[in-house]
Amino acid sequence: MGREDSENFVIPISYGSTESIETGQWSSKKPRTRQLVPPCQEACPAGTDIPRFVHLVEKGKYREALSAILVENPFPGVCGRVCYHPCEAGCNRASYDESVSIQMLERFVSSLKSGDLPRLQPVPNEAPRRVAIIGSGPAGLSCAYFLALLGHHPVIFEARDEPGGVLRWGIPPFRLPKAVLKKEVRRILALPIELKTGCRVGRDVALDELDWFDAVFLSPGAELNAQLSIEGQDLEGVWDGGEFLMAVNSGRDISLGAETLVIGGGNTAIDVARSALRLGSSVTIAYRRTWDAMPAIRDEVSEAEEEGIRFTFLVQPVSIHRTGDGRLSVTFQRMEPGAPDGSGRPRAVPVEGEYATVQADSVISAVGERVDLSWIPEKLAGGGLVDPDPDAGIFAGGDAARQPRTIVNAIASAKRAAISMDLSFRGIRDRGALSQLRTGGKGSISMAAYLEARASGVWPEIKDVATGDRINTLFFEKSGRVRSRKLGKKRLKSFLEVNLSPDARMALRSASRCYSCGRCNACLNCYYFCPEGVISVDVEQCTRTIDDAHCKGCGTCATACPRTAVEMKDLS
Amino acid sequence: MRDFISGNDGVAHAVRLCRTPLIAAYPITPQTSIYERLSGWEASGQLNGIMMRTESEHSAMASCIGASLTGVRTFTATSSQGLALMHEMLHFAAGCRLPIVMANVNRIISAPWGFWADHLDSLSQRDTGWVQFYCENGQEALDTVIQAYRIAEQVYLPVMIALDAFFVSHFVEPLEIPEQDQVDGFLPPLNLPHKFDVDKPGFLVPVVSSEKYREYKHLAAVGMDSVKEIALRVDGEFREKFGRGYGIIEPFMLDDAEVVVVTAGSMTSTARLAIRKMREEGKKAGLLKIRAFRPFPVEALQQALRGRKKIAVLDRDFSLGGGGIFCQELRSALVHSPDHPLVFSYIAGVGGTDVSPETIEQIATRAMARSEPADEPEWIMGE
Repeated sequence: MGREDSENFVIPISYGSTESIETGQWSSKKPRTRQLVPPCQEACPAGTDIPRFVHLVEKGKYREALSAILVENPFPGVCGRVCYHPCEAGCNRASYDESVSIQMLERFVSSLKSGDLPRLQPVPNEAPRRVAIIGSGPAGLSCAYFLALLGHHPVIFEARDEPGGVLRWGIPPFRLPKAVLKKEVRRILALPIELKTGCRVGRDVALDELDWFDAVFLSPGAELNAQLSIEGQDLEGVWDGGEFLMAVNSGRDISLGAETLVIGGGNTAIDVARSALRLGSSVTIAYRRTWDAMPAIRDEVSEAEEEGIRFTFLVQPVSIHRTGDGRLSVTFQRMEPGAPDGSGRPRAVPVEGEYATVQADSVISAVGERVDLSWIPEKLAGGGLVDPDPDAGIFAGGDAARQPRTIVNAIASAKRAAISMDLSFRGIRDRGALSQLRTGGKGSISMAAYLEARASGVWPEIKDVATGDRINTLFFEKSGRVRSRKLGKKRLKSFLEVNLSPDARMALRSASRCYSCGRCNACLNCYYFCPEGVISVDVEQCTRTIDDAHCKGCGTCATACPRTAVEMKDLS
Repeated sequence: MRDFISGNDGVAHAVRLCRTPLIAAYPITPQTSIYERLSGWEASGQLNGIMMRTESEHSAMASCIGASLTGVRTFTATSSQGLALMHEMLHFAAGCRLPIVMANVNRIISAPWGFWADHLDSLSQRDTGWVQFYCENGQEALDTVIQAYRIAEQVYLPVMIALDAFFVSHFVEPLEIPEQDQVDGFLPPLNLPHKFDVDKPGFLVPVVSSEKYREYKHLAAVGMDSVKEIALRVDGEFREKFGRGYGIIEPFMLDDAEVVVVTAGSMTSTARLAIRKMREEGKKAGLLKIRAFRPFPVEALQQALRGRKKIAVLDRDFSLGGGGIFCQELRSALVHSPDHPLVFSYIAGVGGTDVSPETIEQIATRAMARSEPADEPEWIMGE
């Protein structure tokens, strides 16, 4: 020891090594990297590995980031715009300052130029099966996508002449530009998927005739409008919401007059109202319950309010008449909040004898959607929905199935069905298998986990959720959420997209706010804090190597890990 | 530039002029105004270094050690309890042969609690291997900081500048503040041959054999001894450049003195007055100021006191069961001088109590009158 310096005897320093002294034998506890389920991933019905793609954005690896999303979700461009982003509500950062703008990041990643796009490669499958998919909305396209990636041959039957379902015909372009949808549909259909457009099952081909397929996925959507069922509903100038949006999305000329009354409080009502505004009408939304009880996405409600749409609550239409000057006169029953219903929201109860009359040039009803079950055998229907029979090879998803009517839930149902089909094709009947793939306890499952299990034959270990109390917030400076830029005043003059694309700087700022809960992101805290210098971190792979022979098991690394991605394990 | 400033401000100016890149400190009365002044300059961009605000004096010294190992100038300032808390690190600094410079504002060491001038805090650290200078006034404190870097960087030992609480640290006097180019000319940029190379890491302070430990200590002793000569040379150069010098001891009116009063620190100024008055009255009294305490200037003292009959040592400190510390050191320094003077010991000014010119005159007169000194010191209790 001190050999080199023994000549000058100034600073006592040794260039020799003490490595032969294995101080690591003093403890049986050693740090190990662990992966927990981040709460954003748990909250995402599609189970997207959010910290992973966000970390890749931060590193500037956009293509890898897109690949990470595409494993779980074929629609990042769609979801990056119109998803109700439950991930952000689940974000641990929300209780510290503000949640990470995950949706903005997804949108950023989705906008990669076509030359940079990752190549999708189906897994090898020696026994590919044929699956009939009814409907090409988000559920149908997703199911075809996942099945194709699993090496099967899906055939989509689409009644209309273009694929996309609600994405194509329901959502107005100021929220989801058609080009964005086209790009994502093109990516899906580049896989070995057969699409038959203009072929309505039940009209052009009977459901029975599809029995030569190995399985059927029913995803026809909920395309029928719920009726107002009141006097005057068939008058000219009274629209049905779905029909109206279809006209808007087809680019037809529509004349609404000066004032439009929209009836309903869901996303369709908001889309209808904002579209009507862009057609030059002033718009009032009439809803039978209160502001709090509207099922529409809050961001959309705020945007509608910003744009000058008026709201009137606790009113229910009872009749519509034509006035002498050719306008429409709607009579409303006044309502009041009553006892909570099944959804927990106060029921709307009529206030006896209280009515109000409102005049308008057009009335658009958006009071809910129904599933057309006319072509479905009785045994496959229940409660107004499709009731599948997986044992008979009949699966279902999307708005026609029993699940929340959102795009991301449609994608999730398709993934679940695709994996179920693949399991059954492989002779695995174990219903519990799906739960081995779960990402947390809110129902989402991971395709990445399935692909890994499928390749290795080993089912993954169920992981805990990295809840907020496990994050060491001392390591994070408070910062504000990165907000998207919006189109200015001119947005009401056209159907141009309202929310503008984030730039790389905004994406980086947003990505760098991610706690990366339960996931090592190579922040190097463990490396810096280790008093023994026994930790080395591979910053590319986010993995670490511990020199166990010299690790004294102090646990400093585990405590210093802000994201609970290091745990002390007793190896004795 | 001449300015009307306190001793602490003088120290801060010196640190600024020495372009010290790293200052690590923790505030403590009566040192705090050094820390505040340097912090202020850091904030206004007038400091050529950074202030590292540590959580304790122990960490402050540890930080200075770390930085100094890489071959940069460092500075810290402390007092009393802060210095006591640094104790362990003081040994490391000297043991690693690091040219750290520290200002210690001498304050009583508790208990009981208090803030006043007393030398026991720094004298308690006399065996840590630090060079120690005791300063008489603000100008000397300022100048000694600049000299300290020159000395430390030649001998690879840390230097502590001691200045009395309030009497020096806070009294405001006209001080000459050197110009930057003057100081730059005196103190060139640091380039140490021995330093820790961050690109070639090694293990600091490893276990060494008994023989090697002895070798390290012996070489440090040789280094410390060389300070006596190097400090005089540096002081000489300083005098040439700045017109002020102090020596490692300062004899004052020693010729034919029958009694020599020995002092350190701010008390020296008071003693000058008393001795001058006695001389005017025809009383043969002299004064000897001890500036360097470590290394103790044995040869210089022997020489200065040759032929003197009596000396009266004033200690603003007390080592329980030992006596006045300056007196002990002086007695052992003189023991081999033939016909060395009788050494009278007085404990004066402990706890920051006032030592007036009259008190010093009385002490000198009493020592003249007595034929034999007592073994035990005499406590000067006032009135």
